[in-house]
Amino acid sequence: MKLRHGRAEYLTIAASLALGALAWEVAGHSTSGAFWAPLSATLKNLWDITREGVLLRQCASSFQLYVSGLMLAIAVGAPLGVLLARVAWLRTALDPYIMMLYATPMVALVPFILSIMGFGFAPKVLVVFLFAVFPVIYNTVEGARSVRPELIEVAHAFRSREWQLWRDVMIPYTLPFTMTGIRQAIARGLVGMIVAEFFLSPSGLGQMIMMGSQNFDTAGMLSAILVIVVVGVGLMDLGRLLENRFAVWRGETR
Amino acid sequence: MTAVGTALAAGQPAAGNGTRPWYAAPLALQLAAGVVLLGAWEIGVRMLAPAYVARPSRVVVVFLRVLSDAQFLAAAAATLRAVLEGLLLSIMLGTVIGLAMGRVVAVERGLRYYVNSLFATPMVAILPLMSLWFGYDGDARLATVVFAALFSVVVNTCDGARAVPNDYLEVAHSFRARGWRTLLDVVLPASLPYLLAGVRLAAGRALVAAVVAEFFVSIPGLGYYILFNSRTFKHSEAFVAVIVLVAVGVGFDALINWITRRYLPWARRGG
Repeated sequence: MKLRHGRAEYLTIAASLALGALAWEVAGHSTSGAFWAPLSATLKNLWDITREGVLLRQCASSFQLYVSGLMLAIAVGAPLGVLLARVAWLRTALDPYIMMLYATPMVALVPFILSIMGFGFAPKVLVVFLFAVFPVIYNTVEGARSVRPELIEVAHAFRSREWQLWRDVMIPYTLPFTMTGIRQAIARGLVGMIVAEFFLSPSGLGQMIMMGSQNFDTAGMLSAILVIVVVGVGLMDLGRLLENRFAVWRGETR
Repeated sequence: MTAVGTALAAGQPAAGNGTRPWYAAPLALQLAAGVVLLGAWEIGVRMLAPAYVARPSRVVVVFLRVLSDAQFLAAAAATLRAVLEGLLLSIMLGTVIGLAMGRVVAVERGLRYYVNSLFATPMVAILPLMSLWFGYDGDARLATVVFAALFSVVVNTCDGARAVPNDYLEVAHSFRARGWRTLLDVVLPASLPYLLAGVRLAAGRALVAAVVAEFFVSIPGLGYYILFNSRTFKHSEAFVAVIVLVAVGVGFDALINWITRRYLPWARRGG
């Protein structure tokens, strides 16, 4: 079903957003300040922390953590996935373990990481990495399963060298699947980032939320949450964009 | 020459190879890999890490003792109960909202931005808010689970309800089915595969949410059990709880797969 972008659609959407904003404002005025803050107070707080540079500093700190963990996950996960795509016996051997780790709630490992590695930047990067790496491996391996043996045979018939085989068959074939994994990793990594900032050494946006809740500064907490919502939506769109960009390479495998 | 030989072997499909030696059978390979992985873990911890760090031999020793510990069982029951309750609530609420969004244009327009942005938001971020609203007890955990799980059900059910082929609806219409009959007998069954995909995603998120909530609110549960025992350097005991969590996650996945195959054999969702 194709969505029509008519005037009525924009009106309904605008009305629903206005209603939401109004409800936020009214709820803030009619409950205790510890539970909810009005939209106006939240936006004022957001403006203040932007002007003071606090927001930029904390976002930069979060960004550094997030990107380090995510890049590490992609740098490790994608080559490992393609390697497993090429070496069938290794793939068969590791398959159940990758599936298991993919399904593991990585958050359960955070207390171990805290207890062994303590506070610092490295354990936090490890948390983001663990949240993000298995979707990349899992989906790449999933893609590897669909590389048709004929393609490899044809490549060999044309006397492809090993590196040509990787460049022309393995990587193009598995890349769209890796992108699906990266899309999932982008979302999971964000969860990992906040978990790390909450439960390991506090920093960035997670610390802003935590401090807001400890000081009963609800407006401060809500403005940090609002930033995370916007970042989350942006990252999800980015992930979809990446995935769709490479989806055309998939061809017909069904 | 050897490179070509191994490459050809690698290119062979795994099944239908009758001459394969016993040690190349998938199960043998997988068991061997398990032994190698566990061995590497054991040796790595013994050589590099402090003595309290969990390693397979110690986990095996404490495994049965922890599993028969009343406190551990109560913790596991509390977590699983919160996850199941939260999932059930999310499925009921999410199906209703999702179907409404999928079939009624005004509802979809009204809720689209809220649902999409809450779907994209890591629900960990609202934990402090949940504990403010619901207090430091099980309600905060349940609320976090619902928040984490609900939106994947809504988004998927909405997609499903929108993807119902028009032919079905036209047939229902020409048999003079009423609106709600069409909804229950045509739209809902046709969206079930999508709904189940949403539930599967929701289950993973719900498990994470419950564990994180227990870290934060400090209420009895598997997450708190892990936190408490790792703080007191009983890592092997804590790791048993991780194993249980993984088993629950994998088990739920398998259950959804089985339900889809058994009861919805016609559903083959592409992409």
